[in-house]
Amino acid sequence: MHAIYNFVSGPLAWVAFILFFGGILYQLISRAIMAKKKDAFIYEYWSFYHAFRSILHWIFPFASTNSRNRPVLSVVTFIFHICIFVAPIFLFAHITLINEAFNVSWWFLPDGVADIMTLLVIGACIFFLIRRLTQPDVKFLSNAWDYVLLALVAAPFVTGYWAYHQWPGNQLVTILHMLSAEILLAIIPFTKLNHMFLFFFTRGYMGSEFGAVRFARDW
Amino acid sequence: MRKNILFIGVLLGVLSLAAFSAYSQEDIEFVEDSAFTDNMRPLPAFKHDEHNEMAGLECNECHHVYDDDGNLVEDESSEDQECSECHGAEGDEYPMELVRRYHLNCRGCHLSEKAGPVACGECHAKAP
Repeated sequence: MHAIYNFVSGPLAWVAFILFFGGILYQLISRAIMAKKKDAFIYEYWSFYHAFRSILHWIFPFASTNSRNRPVLSVVTFIFHICIFVAPIFLFAHITLINEAFNVSWWFLPDGVADIMTLLVIGACIFFLIRRLTQPDVKFLSNAWDYVLLALVAAPFVTGYWAYHQWPGNQLVTILHMLSAEILLAIIPFTKLNHMFLFFFTRGYMGSEFGAVRFARDW
Repeated sequence: MRKNILFIGVLLGVLSLAAFSAYSQEDIEFVEDSAFTDNMRPLPAFKHDEHNEMAGLECNECHHVYDDDGNLVEDESSEDQECSECHGAEGDEYPMELVRRYHLNCRGCHLSEKAGPVACGECHAKAP
């Protein structure tokens, strides 16, 4: 078990972070080059003011018509996205591991708060699953990979909750926790999860075109 | 009456023996340091003598002494000191540096020796 632990917490973590950050850079640069070649008007239309205006309207619940039409989904996704970022980055256990490896640390959440945030992420994933299975339009648009992706997002949070509460097999689950998080990090840039960083560009462009060219709102 | 006095005497003897052994060096059962006032996790169970006999550790591998230049002083040890006396980050809200040193010392050794607990819940186990 030590060999697996060492491998998953060492080399595999490096591979995951390199693929994550390298993948983000690759996607941003290759798309910027492709846009320059094929859609040069994107650069001409781009307006930071209109881009941010649109991003802000789409990032907060009830600030867009679309969001107001789906109040429950809006609240769930808003909470989900906050928790999926804040809980892992400001978790004491993660910071202490980083501190051991790199001698840097930062502010952390009380464990009880992180625990609740983890449950909120898991709850939101269950909500998304039920939504995919029951809502006709979403069901029609869902394929097998969407369900796998949802499971991959939920896995680090389920295993993290399991390991923290020390349910049976927590040594193995701790390894699975690291492994599932590494898989997730590595695939983010190469799947639709890349909306994590591309959202700001797609939304920003829409905002620019609607705001600066058509003089219209896009929210 | 005599029986009662005898009983109380034996009881006091047993209690003082228990109290003495609980505070003696031989019976360390947890990793503790007075710098940790607000513990985030359960204290790691650690049977000092049993562990060190099994691991074949010299006292000063953990209770080490460094000189002013940062060189390990061989043949000297620091059992009379708490880890936090040297490794406590003063002024911090939470002694992160002390946590770091404990983890590097215990977990670091377990990882390199491929023996002993390494996952969070293995050391910081909740009471059963």
